[in-house]
Amino acid sequence: MRGEDNGLYFDHAATTPMRDEVREAMAPYEAECFGNPSSVHRWGQKARVALEEARERLASALGAKRREICFTGCGTEADNLAVLGSWRRVGTPGAGWVVCSAIEHNAVLGAVERAGHEGASRHYLAVDEDGRVDPAAVDEALTLEPAVVAVMWLNNEVGTVQPVRAIAERCRERGVRFHTDAVQAFGRVPVRVDEVPCDFLAVSGHKIGGPKGVGALYVRQGVEVEPLTYGGGQEQALRPGTQNVAAAMGMARAAEIAVRELESEAARLRGLRELIERGLTALDGVSINAAGAERGPHIMSVAVDGVDPQALIIYLDLEGLAVSAGSACHSGSSDPSHVLSAMGRTADDRGIFRLSMGRTTQREHAEDAVVRVRGVLERLRASAPLPAQ
Amino acid sequence: MIRSGSTVVVAMSGGVDSSLAAALLVEQGHRVVGVTMKTFCYEGAIENSRTCCGLDGILDARRVCDTLDIPHYVFDLEESFAEAVIDDFVDEYVAGRTPNPCVRCNSNTKIPELLRRARMFGADRIATGHYARMVRDGDDSRLLRGVDRRKDQSYFLWALPREVLQHLDFPVGELTKDEVRRRAAQLELATADKPESQEICFVPSNDYGQFLAHRLGADHPSLRPGTIVRRDGSAVGTHEGYGRYTVGQRRRLGGGARQRLYVLEVRPERNEVVVGESADLYGGWVRLIDLNWFDGAPAPGETVQVQIRHGGRAVAARVEATDADELMLRLDEPQRAITPGQSGAVYRGEELLGGGRIARAA
Repeated sequence: MRGEDNGLYFDHAATTPMRDEVREAMAPYEAECFGNPSSVHRWGQKARVALEEARERLASALGAKRREICFTGCGTEADNLAVLGSWRRVGTPGAGWVVCSAIEHNAVLGAVERAGHEGASRHYLAVDEDGRVDPAAVDEALTLEPAVVAVMWLNNEVGTVQPVRAIAERCRERGVRFHTDAVQAFGRVPVRVDEVPCDFLAVSGHKIGGPKGVGALYVRQGVEVEPLTYGGGQEQALRPGTQNVAAAMGMARAAEIAVRELESEAARLRGLRELIERGLTALDGVSINAAGAERGPHIMSVAVDGVDPQALIIYLDLEGLAVSAGSACHSGSSDPSHVLSAMGRTADDRGIFRLSMGRTTQREHAEDAVVRVRGVLERLRASAPLPAQ
Repeated sequence: MIRSGSTVVVAMSGGVDSSLAAALLVEQGHRVVGVTMKTFCYEGAIENSRTCCGLDGILDARRVCDTLDIPHYVFDLEESFAEAVIDDFVDEYVAGRTPNPCVRCNSNTKIPELLRRARMFGADRIATGHYARMVRDGDDSRLLRGVDRRKDQSYFLWALPREVLQHLDFPVGELTKDEVRRRAAQLELATADKPESQEICFVPSNDYGQFLAHRLGADHPSLRPGTIVRRDGSAVGTHEGYGRYTVGQRRRLGGGARQRLYVLEVRPERNEVVVGESADLYGGWVRLIDLNWFDGAPAPGETVQVQIRHGGRAVAARVEATDADELMLRLDEPQRAITPGQSGAVYRGEELLGGGRIARAA
């Protein structure tokens, strides 16, 4: 049996529990107000009003205009729409370039790879040992006149915050489109498109206490992209298909609360992060990845020397501590993460795990997490290692 | 029997046998952890529910673990599986022998690796859904055939490292397959009605010739045409590459001869396939190499039983000679198609003593 305690959830970067306020905001649109926002009649009109209200509220949380928000099915779709949609609209197959950082989320890497299959040459921006892109390296890449440059705001595996403003400004000067994946950043650090001159910005509902199955892409007014799917005229024909009004409402509500609570919540999480990092780095052979960089308050990537990475994660789970190996999207695979590889780290002889926190993480959870990690490490190192077959 | 309350890691393929094995251990009050071992890359492979470890298997195992409320993890064994099982499989055919990949997989890869990794997270006991029994007397562990003789899988386990035995259990070994299915249905396990796995998991549609061609290239020496000869050396036809032939086979020999011909021997060094009549297939000796014994080799002069294929009958045999590298057995009655490369599992009554790979008669 799974054991007596309910476990400690330290995987908020993978997904977060939905807020009660969000559930309440969604409920009417899943029942009595069920209309299709494209319909002419009163049911449709009510739904349309709600959808546009959600758009307005999300736009305002991001410092954008209402017309600049396109609801999508998830963050990955938003990233694809920005990267592939740009390549297909302004790229020249066989001659054009697409540029992204080497530590992007798979949502961007996959889209860039796809653009490669469609005739784009690809350039990956290197990062330093703390996972930072050097804005000067972007200057060099801009001489390629790429169709789009994509650099994530806050890395999902190690938490590094990128100099997106400097990068966005350089792209703007050269007239090159800039996309930033802000899925991990939004609600954790200030994210506003009126302060960072990006052309696209992707966010997701379920990372901020909103529902799964909804995301959004900010598309700066006047920037055109090719849609990924074709059909009706919904979302200005950028994302055809009947909109999920309840999810849009839920996401907008979650975004508002996240922005309202950002300052205090970030400070609180930063305090917990410091508490955990102090506790863990006091242990033998434990270090924090990207420790030299400005990082998001909620993510820490922990490296443990001399233990088997997979055994470590399983042991922690058996002890009731839910963490993730790198990012949740890689679970099941034992390949070293592309993020750590790009940072010049090899994961062969060390266990790496990510602890990520959120709204429901309390001080006693953080203290308990340190105790459990310490216990597991002691037992892992005490167990006589058997030679591989 | 396992100490009550200890942590047991169960290898779960997603089939009904290992599902029930986990359920029985939970019933007995153990802390149970389910593990599915991913053995090769499924990318691009045809989804195949008839093998023992496809992607469906992982998801089925996870469903069962959810029902049982136990954790479930996936171990990625692709690298060691590719080396210990697939490379060996190919090498054996190239050497003119007929390998037993399921023995390599179970005995040399999955079970030892499961124990190694279980120990890393603090568990000292493992279990599988094999139809076999483990009997304990103090520190002494003896591996017996499963109670259901039609399903008995002890044959696949002769190569287990002896030090693994004392950590290993087979919870369904005392049951028949019918009982296993019935109990699984009672417990509403999702896998209760799942069909048996049969094929070699990494060879699609059981076409191993095509698999070899894919791995080695179609013009590899083992796949180039050569001569079909009789024992007396007379040529009777052309074969399609000796790698495509195994002892006892009748296919791919052409239709020329009046009598029905069978492969008697594969000679890679001369690129020949030797054929003869059905009667010529019988042999009275088994020579085993790559030996493995759980508790010492049987003594010269002793009568044991040897089983030379899965599902085959074990036959009485007298140990004529043995040393660390080789065991010679004289069979009480001649056996058909004693095939180099296949496993010879050696029993004393119900008890599996160990065994070896069948070598060409010296």
